[in-house]
Amino acid sequence: MSAVSASRTTAALAVENLEVAYTVRGIDRAVLRGVSFSIAPGEAYGLVGESGCGKSTTAYAALRYLPRNGKIVRGRVLVGGDDVTGMNTSQLQRFRATEASMVYQDPAQAMNPSVKIGRQLIESFTLLGQSKPVAAKSALDALRRVRIADPVRVMDRYPFQLSGGMQQRVVIAMALACDPKLLVLDEPTTGLDATVEAEVLDLVRVLREESNAAVLLIAHNLGIIRSLCDRVGVMYAGRIVEEGPSHQVFDDPQHPYTVGLLRSLPRHGVRKTERALATIPGILPLIGTDLPTCVFVDRCPLADDLCRDEVPPAAPVGTEGLRFTRCHHPDRIHELVQAPPDVPIGILSSSGANPEVLELTHVSKTFRQRNVNIPALVDVNLQLAEGETLGIVGESGSGKSTLAKTILGIESADSGGAVSLDGHTVAPNTTGRSANDKRAMQMVFQNPDSALNRSWSVRRILMRSVEKLTGIKGDEANARVEALAAHLRLTPRHLDLKPRQLSGGLKQRVAIARAFAGDPRIVVCDEPTSALDVSVQAAILNLLADLQSEEKTSYVFITHDMGVVRYLADRIAVMYLGRIQEVGPTDDVFNGPNHPYTEALLSAIPSVDGEPTSRIRLEGEIPSPANPPSGCVFHPRCPRVIPGVCEVSEPPLREVAPGHAMRCHIPIEQLVELQRKPLTV
Amino acid sequence: MVRYLLRRLASAVVTLWLLATIVFLIVSVLPGDVGRRVLGPFALKEDVARYNHQIGTDRPLIRQYLTTIRRLFTLDFGNSYQTASSVNKIIFPALFRSGKLALLAFVITIPISIAAGIFAARRQDKPSDRIVVTTGLASSSIPEFVTAAVLLSVFSVHWRLGKVFANPPDGTSVIGQFRYLIMPALAMVVAYFGYITRMSRAGVIHGLQSDYARTATMKGLSKGEVMRRHILRNALAPTITVISVQIGYLFGGIIGVEKVFNYAGLGSTMLNAVTHKDIPVLQAAVLLVGVVYMSSTLLADVLIAFLNPRVRLETTR
Amino acid sequence: MSEFDEPVPAPGEIVSTPGADVLVPSTTIRATAIPPTTPAETELSGVVQFSERKQARRENWRLIRRRPAFIVGVFIVLVWTSCAMLGDKITPHDPFKPSSSTHLSPSAKYPFGTDSIGRDVLSRVMVGARDVIKVAPLGALLGVLFGVIIGMVMGYFGGWLDNVLSRIVEAFLSLPVVLVALLAITTLGSSTWVVIGVVSALFTPVVARTVRSAVLAERDLDYVTSAKLRGESSAFVMFKEILPNVSGPIIVELTVRVGYAVFTVATLSFLGAGPQPPSPDWGVQVSDGFRVISASIWWTTFFPAAAIASLVIAVNLIADSVQSVLEAS
Repeated sequence: MSAVSASRTTAALAVENLEVAYTVRGIDRAVLRGVSFSIAPGEAYGLVGESGCGKSTTAYAALRYLPRNGKIVRGRVLVGGDDVTGMNTSQLQRFRATEASMVYQDPAQAMNPSVKIGRQLIESFTLLGQSKPVAAKSALDALRRVRIADPVRVMDRYPFQLSGGMQQRVVIAMALACDPKLLVLDEPTTGLDATVEAEVLDLVRVLREESNAAVLLIAHNLGIIRSLCDRVGVMYAGRIVEEGPSHQVFDDPQHPYTVGLLRSLPRHGVRKTERALATIPGILPLIGTDLPTCVFVDRCPLADDLCRDEVPPAAPVGTEGLRFTRCHHPDRIHELVQAPPDVPIGILSSSGANPEVLELTHVSKTFRQRNVNIPALVDVNLQLAEGETLGIVGESGSGKSTLAKTILGIESADSGGAVSLDGHTVAPNTTGRSANDKRAMQMVFQNPDSALNRSWSVRRILMRSVEKLTGIKGDEANARVEALAAHLRLTPRHLDLKPRQLSGGLKQRVAIARAFAGDPRIVVCDEPTSALDVSVQAAILNLLADLQSEEKTSYVFITHDMGVVRYLADRIAVMYLGRIQEVGPTDDVFNGPNHPYTEALLSAIPSVDGEPTSRIRLEGEIPSPANPPSGCVFHPRCPRVIPGVCEVSEPPLREVAPGHAMRCHIPIEQLVELQRKPLTV
Repeated sequence: MVRYLLRRLASAVVTLWLLATIVFLIVSVLPGDVGRRVLGPFALKEDVARYNHQIGTDRPLIRQYLTTIRRLFTLDFGNSYQTASSVNKIIFPALFRSGKLALLAFVITIPISIAAGIFAARRQDKPSDRIVVTTGLASSSIPEFVTAAVLLSVFSVHWRLGKVFANPPDGTSVIGQFRYLIMPALAMVVAYFGYITRMSRAGVIHGLQSDYARTATMKGLSKGEVMRRHILRNALAPTITVISVQIGYLFGGIIGVEKVFNYAGLGSTMLNAVTHKDIPVLQAAVLLVGVVYMSSTLLADVLIAFLNPRVRLETTR
Repeated sequence: MSEFDEPVPAPGEIVSTPGADVLVPSTTIRATAIPPTTPAETELSGVVQFSERKQARRENWRLIRRRPAFIVGVFIVLVWTSCAMLGDKITPHDPFKPSSSTHLSPSAKYPFGTDSIGRDVLSRVMVGARDVIKVAPLGALLGVLFGVIIGMVMGYFGGWLDNVLSRIVEAFLSLPVVLVALLAITTLGSSTWVVIGVVSALFTPVVARTVRSAVLAERDLDYVTSAKLRGESSAFVMFKEILPNVSGPIIVELTVRVGYAVFTVATLSFLGAGPQPPSPDWGVQVSDGFRVISASIWWTTFFPAAAIASLVIAVNLIADSVQSVLEAS
């Protein structure tokens, strides 16, 4: 039980010793192993944890919406004092209509695709007993409340006609229709672009103040939890292992798992040149695994016999009674915190001195769809030195993936541009490139499930790449495969497995090994860690950094995660609508002065450290590349737009400091001045 | 929407043209001498030649092909080899009779199988669902003529519940006709029940598992309301497609049913044309079936576009 | 008959969950901790479901064998196959020898009665599967073979080639298989090989369409991109990389096609486009029998018809079991 839990009758939500199991192949497998927490009216409570920890199951169980094979085994869920687990069908219906609401991860799927927004929203109000005309008015008000532009027109639209951000606003409006006592948000911004995410989170923050609903927020992003929640529960393997006020838990974690989670994040502007990231050994136990003792025991550096024999009680932390940790050794947490993997990776700092490997000159890529030209890349010029990492950041539609494909020749660049490797121009298409050129450039993909052939063994996957790229055959190739695997810290046992038998992190290692099969000069990494949990992400990032320092490979590293790019990249290019808006050394880009778009991206990061970052917000949606705005493509969303200038002509990419260039009409001195003081929108 | 329809129509015309070409290839280009095949191995050479000249099979292939295509677009299929009367006079009344039979079959099948599909979907994996699924599987896998023969031998002959011949005498009232047609129609109902049930069950299960159904449930709607207001509309689209495809395929099965019940519909006409190698009739009938198939799938697409705003609106642009 | 893609997973082993929050559970393994040495070496124990997977597959196979539908289907098919192969060695009477006892209704001596020239219907039904059991699987197999090749090419290359082939496939699909087969067999004659050829030719477009859509789903996966990046040929990518991943739908398609082939061949022989009298083929028997049905002689129609139904249903039961299991895994 939470030490601060409001007494049972007054809590908006009280979950008591909840156990949930899924029946798979006829056997019940435990997912939640006794979860208890409570939320006071008006309070926001966050549940964090990596995938598979049971946080979403907790949320759905709280509203008693479990999959067909799921069931509540034990425990109670009280909302406003009423036991949800004991309700009959009509009580439950009433409860869902009036007491509790939910906002979902994927708003596009959450709405009926063939019913207009208006009707779906009105339905939420007629359920409360309102007549059609009254409900229609309420629906319109609800849309205004979530700050949707042009609500009257939105009412007449179908869900697919709205952007992701607008869809989520509508879902939120629907959820707030009944003025619920409990609002559950399940990963509400996952899948949205950073700047849109920031807007939605701002909206949730404002709405929280306007209503008295208790909020249960499920998120894997610690920053979001910190920026929105009063209290947080850290979940692991179906249990809350630590709970307390968000700032305290994140600033001073008291459970080994929380410590591990926080330390594996690239934070505080840490760079690969400073230290390797911490990781959490082992993997999450699968659901249904018999875990009689501390759920974290198998992965905990502090584990001893006591941890293996006894379930740790919720030990209070501090004297206010606000926190607890489910650990036998809270007194030894400091050992962990000081344990030093702070060894810098032997990175050569690679600015300038090294020879240039890759150069893109005037590279454009135009897709043609139904007789419409869609410029996905517009006049991109980039250089990449040996052993250097160039980070490419940007939101959806920015062209960063197209850039990767164009470099590799999966897409052919428009004529007029050139991709040069070690000083010679390569063919625009892979098939036209020489064996050596193919060997020199390889790729690591976002999703290893898609990138590895699922019917091949790991050995065959690596073998084929070695043979094809290096021309080595037979025993020699086999030896090389084994050396490669060892290098990537894969054991011989892994070689004979199929990808689906490996965890996400191991799969990504195989994919990286494959990319390195022919000693490439350049590896293009397209969001290689965004499908992975943070602790696994850390291991992969460490590995990439290690490989680079040993092999002098150059990386083009595409990501939307500013923390990751800051850790790994030597230089960063910021893209928007197919254009490079800013490019420069990592420190310059992060310290500013910035292009206003970069500034917005940086402002949009919800920080785990609670630093105030919300300097500027963007409004509106990312325009379609098929129909880019006039002048500077960013001007319609730019908070610093100069009327009469920005919409007229597109600024050139100008160097503002050595190696640091941006595409903006505002003189650099003025930008420095503007970005010194916080901006209120 | 209009542009979508036009595009869809244009592609149907192209498909019809291809269809006519395929039929032409089968009957004309494949080895063999039509006159010889029609008149038999003992006919005189001169007779065969005269026959070939008469029906035009001695002309260059390309001209024969052009004739075929012209016939397709003018809907004038020439004369029957067998009776020398106009092909149209033979096939259109036959199509009308088959249409009546098919209509009856579908009027019975569609509501029953959609209801069965919804019933099964709501009880997914329970015994009642398994029964519906297995019945559907069995019923759709038995050839129509087999069902027809069993129905005939058991109901019409053994229990004397229906007519052995389905051809009503001229001037029979609508209700009277129903008595003649119900047995053959039931044979077809059995065949199509399985497909439509399976599809509507699948569509409803898909809907039940969807996020929007979850949203609707969480809003506080009852199961029935979720089904009626949210799921059915989306679940129906694939079922409509199946039904439209069935309407085309029906003419495969109807041949057997009509033969068993001695019904003078398009199926019997085609079979008769096959036995007598009456190629013009056969060609016309096959093309007609193609046209029916095209029209029903086209209609289904229109219906789906009507149900699904995404199809309707995105294709307008 | 009609084909369509069923958008819904077969009932069975699917864990549907809200949120992406659940791993496939394991009964057997516990994540064992490997003492961490260096930080990067940490998630090495991430071998999940090693024994679990194999076990799942074995479990699936056990599940399919335990399905009553599967057992019944296999049993019926085996019965008819052995009857067809052993022929008059096991039939109670000579299936071909006429006798004077015509149109006898079912009795102890003639359990299924006798036909219009006094042959024993039971004996004739027992040997009546001879043609179907040869023709249907062969026709289906060839159809699947060609269909896989054409569908693979359509799906992988796409573009105008796919457009043209899709049109042709659609034109084929707009006609009932039985009808076109009838047309083709009328033109080409009704020998066994012609029937096999026609059935396979008519199944090719359907299979091609199924394979095409399976390949389309694979084509955009990154392992294909990766193969292109290391310079693999199209043939290699299609048949070495993609083919193993679409084998599930292909096996399902094959079993389903065998069912349709039995269906088609039986219908064709009923319509006279196949074996000719005095062949004991079921379709021929039904066609023969129903002529006298108005005289209340139902058994010459009923028993061969029921035999056809039993074989077709049996094949479909097997196909359905295979499909549910393969689609669930």
